[in-house]
Amino acid sequence: MGSVGLTLPWEHKLSPVERNGERRVEPFQEKAETLGIKEEVPQDASVAAACLSGNLQGYERLYRWQGTRMKNLARNLLGSQSDAEDAVQETFLKIQRSITSFRGQSSFVTWTFRILVNTCHDLRRGRVRRKEQANEDVDALPSRKELRAPGAHPSLRMALERALERLTAHQRDVFLLYEVEGFHHAEIAGMLEISETASKNTLFQAKKNLRAMLEPPRSSATGGAQ
Amino acid sequence: MNINCDDRERIFLYGSPEEWAALQLHANACDVCADELRAWQQLNAAAVELRDYEESPALWARIESSLRQQQAAPAPRKSSWTSLDFWRHISHAWQFALVGALVVALAISSGYLYTHRPVSSVNQGNTLLKTGALAEVERTEREYMSAIDKLATGAGPQLNADTPLMANYREKLLVLDSAIADLRAQAGENPSNAHLRHQLLAMYQEKQQTLQDVLETKR
Repeated sequence: MGSVGLTLPWEHKLSPVERNGERRVEPFQEKAETLGIKEEVPQDASVAAACLSGNLQGYERLYRWQGTRMKNLARNLLGSQSDAEDAVQETFLKIQRSITSFRGQSSFVTWTFRILVNTCHDLRRGRVRRKEQANEDVDALPSRKELRAPGAHPSLRMALERALERLTAHQRDVFLLYEVEGFHHAEIAGMLEISETASKNTLFQAKKNLRAMLEPPRSSATGGAQ
Repeated sequence: MNINCDDRERIFLYGSPEEWAALQLHANACDVCADELRAWQQLNAAAVELRDYEESPALWARIESSLRQQQAAPAPRKSSWTSLDFWRHISHAWQFALVGALVVALAISSGYLYTHRPVSSVNQGNTLLKTGALAEVERTEREYMSAIDKLATGAGPQLNADTPLMANYREKLLVLDSAIADLRAQAGENPSNAHLRHQLLAMYQEKQQTLQDVLETKR
């Protein structure tokens, strides 16, 4: 099954994420608490209102609140720190341009991340187009990946990054938003303009595909057991 | 709660916390489910490796500067297409309904306009030629008739030939002469009616063309 070079080192002693099944563990819960933010909704509404008033402090609050998460998502979608920063900057400019069209039908964060995801897709498409125009190999996209701060399991992260590149864009978006950024399916549905069920199904397919790509070849696994 | 291997994927997809706990219990006694569950959980754990929430110290300054520039710049003129942005925010069902309503409205208004259109012939018929223009039309008509008569004289011998083609031409010319006579009679009663004059001119032109065709056949 084409898993050469992608084999996930399952022997790593990873502490499993305490999800209590699929119960959400919000990666930003602790962060919000350290910022003194008690509830998400008033924060969301007040940041939206501040941005709508044209006050740049509103945008700064949004950046302090969600900036690193935005940059991390963009980094995982684009594979490069500088592209990710460009994407975040462009997202803020788009928010400023279209803030008057924010009707509050979704949360402000959901709206912001929808713009970010679309911006990342645009940048990605633009990059592919430029490569095509330059007659370069489009498959060389992953080579743009930059080294970043080593985590606890750098080989695991690299294997996962390479496997993510082989997912469909939709599967990659849902996986990153749910598993990495900790959004709920309802929020992801709002960001990607799909149903909640579609988000769940897409995540399931993404994980099945990743599992297939990352699992050790059957023969070697059997051999190892023997 | 009884869980078996067949429930595993469903629980991965939509399982409640209780079902996940039951699956965990089941996995204690089932190697296949234990493997799958471990792999699934390790994938969740691996995703954590993709979190890198380090601050970029200069990024906010860069964003703030560009926001200020954009705020200071004059607002770009809204293109007419941006006013159609609402279209993207309504559901497909409503889009189809609106398009359907638009088509029906267009059909009804077109039908109304067609049935209530001003009858051009009547308008033209009622258009009166001024005295000077009428004199000029009549003079030109006479010249035209005289020229056509000359043409008819030239085509006479050929027209009298006893062939089916010439018989057709003769018949056509008879019909045209009859129509011309009718129109001239009407124009005599209403000499300022421009519409009648136009019809008469069309008949003369047709007769001229027919005679030329007869002469062409002669050659």
